[in-house]
Amino acid sequence: MYRYDEFDAAFVKERTAQFSDQVARRLSGELNEDQFRPLRLMNGLYLQLHAYMLRIAVPYGTMNSRQMRTLAHIARTYDRGYGHFTTRQNIQFNWPKLRDIPKILEDLAAVEMHAIQTSGNCIRNITTDQFAGAAADEIIDPRPVAEILRQWSSLHPEFSYLPRKFKIAMSGSTADRAAIRFHDIGLQATTNGLGEIGWQVWVGGGLGRTPMIAKMISGFVPHEHLLAYLESILRVYNRYGRRDNKYKARIKILVHETGIETIREQVEEEFAHVKGGVLTLPQEELDRITRYFAEPDYELVNQTSVDVAREKILNPPYGRWLERNLNAHRQAGYVSITISLKPVGGAPGDATDKQMDVIADLAERYSHDELRVSHEQNIVLPYVKITDLPSVYATLVEHGLAEGNAGQITDIICCPGLDFCALANARSIPLAQELTRKFAAPERQAEIGDLKIKISGCINACGHHHVGHIGILGVEKKGTELYQITVGGDATENAAIGDILGHGFVAEDVPNAIERLVDAYIARRESPSEPFIAAFRRLGKQPFKEALYGDA
Amino acid sequence: MEILTGNELMSGATVYLDRSGKWVEELQQARVFLKEESEAKDAALAVTKKGGRVISLEVETVTLRDGAIYPDRIRERIRAEGPTAPRFDRQHLDEDGHVSI
Repeated sequence: MYRYDEFDAAFVKERTAQFSDQVARRLSGELNEDQFRPLRLMNGLYLQLHAYMLRIAVPYGTMNSRQMRTLAHIARTYDRGYGHFTTRQNIQFNWPKLRDIPKILEDLAAVEMHAIQTSGNCIRNITTDQFAGAAADEIIDPRPVAEILRQWSSLHPEFSYLPRKFKIAMSGSTADRAAIRFHDIGLQATTNGLGEIGWQVWVGGGLGRTPMIAKMISGFVPHEHLLAYLESILRVYNRYGRRDNKYKARIKILVHETGIETIREQVEEEFAHVKGGVLTLPQEELDRITRYFAEPDYELVNQTSVDVAREKILNPPYGRWLERNLNAHRQAGYVSITISLKPVGGAPGDATDKQMDVIADLAERYSHDELRVSHEQNIVLPYVKITDLPSVYATLVEHGLAEGNAGQITDIICCPGLDFCALANARSIPLAQELTRKFAAPERQAEIGDLKIKISGCINACGHHHVGHIGILGVEKKGTELYQITVGGDATENAAIGDILGHGFVAEDVPNAIERLVDAYIARRESPSEPFIAAFRRLGKQPFKEALYGDA
Repeated sequence: MEILTGNELMSGATVYLDRSGKWVEELQQARVFLKEESEAKDAALAVTKKGGRVISLEVETVTLRDGAIYPDRIRERIRAEGPTAPRFDRQHLDEDGHVSI
């Protein structure tokens, strides 16, 4: 993992001291709220419905056990004993008091963490594949480049006041597990005709009130010119992005209204000026950063596979967990494990302080002291020996973390919704809880197979509803929470935005409506191996519309 | 009918302006402003804003149901009670968090 150098440590320490002083001045009345608000937002501190909310950055979703233990300590000491992992691979605490924030930031700085640029119109946390550096299908580990982008974008003076926030996601494999086509910039590892590895660059994707699939702006940018190319995109956006209307200020609107060809020409023109200058990334610097992400010292493991079918007979819950929650590893004898934060009836993405400590212990003991946050609001242990699986599973069972449902209907992405969020129009967590209860039976989940439900409590789409195979959007109409259902969204390399099929439903009717969609799929699929999303693509929306609303 | 609500600076707790000019936690103690009391309401807002200890000030419309204050918006009903799922007690004021205008 990357370790702070002197510059990193100094700037985080300096910012912590600066913000501590700003809090003190706010509490003494020297600063008023209008003066203080932008300062607290620059440090990830929001005011939500019931209290402040502190959003802490987890760069490219990667942490070590010491950092996770510090998050557990913050949850226990300054909050209410839990934290909420987000779709941006960050963590949020919902109940901190203003006077405690300086102490929290000091604790974070001690383990090389902070909350800088988790809010505001700047470049936010760079996100990536939760299996980076471990996945069997990877072209390149994206984390060294993600770290370089983190350094480039941190406190970048030119990009601290962009027209709107800016999100970058990257994937080191052809399978997109980071939803890169729904980010302002998406980077996909690729090779050119010479077999050299570089980056396909996508621009102008996003969700929110105007969902857009990103367009490819360049098929291949080599590592050495990536910073210059991204800087060129940001400059074009900074120059031409709208500042008169926040709803039209994201780069997706600029790309849509200007056209990708024109944007590409503008970027290329800027790139011609910038290319070969100070932003050229020297190979030795890339190598230096890459060494921080060197593969762990793998052991030679005799057992290189696990007999899932056998385990499903002997211990069905364990068998199900093996079947759903393991990801193929590049190293024989190893797997990556998804620790589900989606227990039946739970709040998606929430973990208690005790659970965070347990996960930290597991990472330290079984996963080379490393863990990941996924954008699907789960935790990943990236480097686990197959022979250690029984021990890891036993510990997870003991602490309520052994749900074997990764990628299934109960593995729901869900924003905090109107229970916490000041922007929301409707609650989302209660709906997620109800749906997990309805589909709790493991046999039913196995029968349904891969199906992603994503729920947002407002049009800002933090719960990614547009790209759910089934998406649910909460709205308020005449004092009642209503839920619009979309079908056919896909966040992967087969990117698609879901279709709204008709009128919304009251909360009580949503679980049965979802069940009708599921039943329609099962009745019409070619075989149990045809997933929901494939069946939707083959069948079109009509059968699903009929399932929801009848054939009238 | 309207009430004044906001969040207390140090705790972030939801508070309501009561009849005696204090910012309190209980929705049912909130002063209900009638249409003809808009001057008093605006004055209270101005003084509070100047004081700086209650932030994110909002005017919320309410109705009375069996004598109890009932906010029109779901959002406000959740703010008054705390999150419904996972169920948590609402945020409370610290000992030194009590504010008057």
